[in-house]
Amino acid sequence: MIEKDKLKEYAQKLMFDMDEKEYETLQKEFDVIIRRMDVIDKIPNLHEVKPMSFPFLLDDRSLRNDEVGDYLTVGEVLSNAKHQVNDQVKVPKVVEE
Amino acid sequence: MYKAVIGLEVHCELDTKSKNFSGAPNKFTETPNIHVSTIDLGLPGILPYPNKEAVRKSLKTAMALHCENPDEVIFDRKNYFYPDLPKGYQITQVTKPMGRNGYLDIIVNGKKKRVLIHQLHLEEDTASLDHFSNYSLIDYNRSGIPLIEIVTEPCIESADEAVTFLEDLRDVFLFLGVSEARSNYGQMRCDVNISVMKDTDKEFGTKVEMKNINAFTSVRTAIEYEIKRQIKVLEEGGKVIQETRRIAEDGKTYSMREKVDAIDYKYFVEPNIPPVKLTKEFYDDLRKEIPELKLERYEKYIDKYHLSEYDAGVLSAKRDISDYFEEVISYGSDVELTVNFVTSAILSTIKKLDIELKELFITPKMLSGIIDKVKNNEISLDHGKKILYQAIDKKIDPNEIIKKQNLHQINDKDELKKIIEEVMDENVSQVRQYIDEGNTYVYNFFIGKVMTKTNRQANPNISLEIIKEELERRKEYESK
Amino acid sequence: MIKDLRKELDEGKISSEELFDITVKKAKEEQDKYNSFVTIIDKYKIKRRADSILKGIPYALKDNISTSNILTTASSNILKDYVPIYDATVYRKLKNAGAVLVGKTTLDELAMGGTGTTAATGVVKNPWNPDCLIGGSSAGSAAAVALGIVPFAIGSDTGDSIRKPASFGGVVGFKPTYGRISRYGLFAFASSLDHVGVFTRSVEDAAIVTDVVKGYDNYDMTSLKDDGKSYSEELDKPLTHKKLCYIKEICDIKEYKDSEIVETLTKFQKLLDECRNNGFQVDEVSIDRRLLESIYPVYMIISCAEATSNNANLTGIQFGPRGEGNNIEEIMFSARTKGFSELIKRRFILGSYILQKENQEKLFLNACRVRRLIVDRVNEIFKDYDGIILPASGKGAPSFDKSTEQVTDGQVILENHMAIGNFGGFPSITIPFTFVNDMPVGVNITGRAMEDDIVLHIAKEIESITGLKGLKAGDRNV
Repeated sequence: MIEKDKLKEYAQKLMFDMDEKEYETLQKEFDVIIRRMDVIDKIPNLHEVKPMSFPFLLDDRSLRNDEVGDYLTVGEVLSNAKHQVNDQVKVPKVVEE
Repeated sequence: MYKAVIGLEVHCELDTKSKNFSGAPNKFTETPNIHVSTIDLGLPGILPYPNKEAVRKSLKTAMALHCENPDEVIFDRKNYFYPDLPKGYQITQVTKPMGRNGYLDIIVNGKKKRVLIHQLHLEEDTASLDHFSNYSLIDYNRSGIPLIEIVTEPCIESADEAVTFLEDLRDVFLFLGVSEARSNYGQMRCDVNISVMKDTDKEFGTKVEMKNINAFTSVRTAIEYEIKRQIKVLEEGGKVIQETRRIAEDGKTYSMREKVDAIDYKYFVEPNIPPVKLTKEFYDDLRKEIPELKLERYEKYIDKYHLSEYDAGVLSAKRDISDYFEEVISYGSDVELTVNFVTSAILSTIKKLDIELKELFITPKMLSGIIDKVKNNEISLDHGKKILYQAIDKKIDPNEIIKKQNLHQINDKDELKKIIEEVMDENVSQVRQYIDEGNTYVYNFFIGKVMTKTNRQANPNISLEIIKEELERRKEYESK
Repeated sequence: MIKDLRKELDEGKISSEELFDITVKKAKEEQDKYNSFVTIIDKYKIKRRADSILKGIPYALKDNISTSNILTTASSNILKDYVPIYDATVYRKLKNAGAVLVGKTTLDELAMGGTGTTAATGVVKNPWNPDCLIGGSSAGSAAAVALGIVPFAIGSDTGDSIRKPASFGGVVGFKPTYGRISRYGLFAFASSLDHVGVFTRSVEDAAIVTDVVKGYDNYDMTSLKDDGKSYSEELDKPLTHKKLCYIKEICDIKEYKDSEIVETLTKFQKLLDECRNNGFQVDEVSIDRRLLESIYPVYMIISCAEATSNNANLTGIQFGPRGEGNNIEEIMFSARTKGFSELIKRRFILGSYILQKENQEKLFLNACRVRRLIVDRVNEIFKDYDGIILPASGKGAPSFDKSTEQVTDGQVILENHMAIGNFGGFPSITIPFTFVNDMPVGVNITGRAMEDDIVLHIAKEIESITGLKGLKAGDRNV
């Protein structure tokens, strides 16, 4: 069974926490789910297959022409930010890494 | 003996009208949050649409650096949380970067050195954070600006090499016209990885990382300091710690944090950007847009045009000057005279007027016209330059000036002889000085007089010959 | 249905404003009982200069579709106060067509669920029986159409999030080819599987609405170039593509013991016979069981992985409730800890685990490989057949107390096969075909990518066979 600490570590990296009971539920569920994924390994010669990232490929895809299009007013940019100063989003001091 | 092993990661913002994945303007501004689209803000429901010009410019750079290029455009997501990254992931390239396994040749202290390029990829810049005493502010203007990252192999051995590489790399960007690469605007930034090892060691030493250095001078200071520091640590029997350090204003580097386990960025293919095939025709067209770079031009000027290293350096340093020079020559103008005109008159003029070469009134075609007239002795070099300055000043075609002022040079020997005889008759005492004392300084005196008399139209070379002959003739005549 | 309303509006029997008022009133009346909506719009707004078949017709949008100045929560606390500043393309097109928005519908939180029970604002109940769920994630859109509140509603479909609730709600649910309708403004769940689609009460209505909202969008690179077809007009032409097949491994009655499933599958075979009587060719085809058993895990792996990344923008910094704390990590942490329900967190952790360097090859990339094998096999089938026809669910909607029951392996395939349509981006439609235990059950038709018109056309013919057109909760005119 996957260690609870490992799950906590994953949660931390995803920037959230759960309570102990929830971790226990997840711990149990995790094994069931991972085992279910074992079905995939039963399929032969899988390594020869190219992973599929898109439903289908088309030849007529093109890139965007480099032109200025729509963009926002400062008011729109900030409209949902809870804290702002001088037309910028304010957050607690970030220690640069 | 110790040697340093340095690898560089260079970021450079590309010069495009719009951002990498959105239509917001890619333009430097001090006013916060005015160049931001829904996409740059990472709002729920947004989708990236890659910019064709950013793709072209990054591929062009990769080609100029002799990289292998991909068969299709494809992007990946790099997942991490940071307040300057609104989507919670950065769109970058891992699967098929724009370039792999390239190089840039540089000349360091007269020697050619090949710096190997591991990879070049296209990604997006982050928002910028401004720090205050107890809070930080986020400005999303920079979010989504196209950014290329160039990673070298750890093959650089000194601060000189590192800085020359950075300067030459910037020249590559400038010659290609992909970026203005102004480090004071943070458009070009550099991470330095550095370790030291004994000459006899087989394995690299422990690597220290220094991030986001803007100025090239700081790169030099940081590397020089760090080499000394690391050697000292080893000499004293210590161990270099794998860590991130920053360069401070005192020129020393300080530890920021020890390197913990590498972050797992959980890369995967960006599902919103289906692959776009890059055809042979596409690459052929792109290749046509890649000009000769600085070093190629420098070597060509020395080998083909026999310029001095100094002149070759001056004329190849900047794309516009080099193109100008080459265009004049392409009209068949004399190389030596062209070098003379461009390196002195043209460069000093744009410097004096504080303008770009492209703003100069004199086109290469016009300059070529003046030079050809000088070459054919129709006008003097001195006159040629005078006309040039006049043309610049009055914004008139120099050929018009030559015609209008009838400034054609007097090359006719008989005509010149007549004038010189007159001048000597009028200035007997100077003739005497030559005859009695053999004073050759009077040559210049007579040249000056001839020039005044002919309204500066006399061919000075021919005039000088005649002056010498005439003075000699008078001397002989007297001694008889 | 839309054409009836159009006629009433055109003949002046009712004004669009009156229609809006009636619709809003009904929405409010049914809200306490079924919880279809997160937001019901109070103010009538219409583009007066619009000229389309949808002008003046009320409709609802799933609450994970961006609507400027209208609260859009994705039924999650992390967006409970989020008011978008831009319009999703699908919304913009409907607005320009003169359609009148009456509400934003409830969904499983962040569209990550199939039950309609996980919205921050509570469960959505099945209009046919409030003790049963309606399915999800487009639960409220399905319920609003099944209740007859609106003639059509927009939903999104990542695994079967339109087509399953359509089956449980006795309505039509259509997910066209991947990219046919722009995803710009649809809050991403799993970008390579996400589709925008429609709920209606007839196939013709599905075609009418799709005609309005489809098309290339320069805000969505995956959107398809316009095909220049009017799907609703195509429906009037004779259908020439009548070769269907069903998958043996999914429909084999011998495999199941559950009496309701047996009833569904028996009625399904009866429907196939009627199709054959109406000029369809219907054959049985076989797909490697291992591939079919992989559909659900492949779906889970890809969708959870992409979802983890797609929802990393939800940090409470630029939008959404701000977390508390002394430093930036703490405030992001607090916003996300409070903002996501436990189920969502579990899915995210799973997604993150799948993408970890050490697991990526075995889990994520292998799932992407199996996805290709499944899609390749289905495309091979499409060389011989115009569509695959299958029951959209094994039985009617489960009751709330049964929804967590363990399902057998066989049922896993039967209940999850519609994700094939998302894997390959195939056009796929669910229409009601029968009742089992007094609850509607749908049949699903999936066709070749790009051939949306053919899938709609086949569905329309089958609709005329079942006679279940214009069904509303409570109707039992079978």
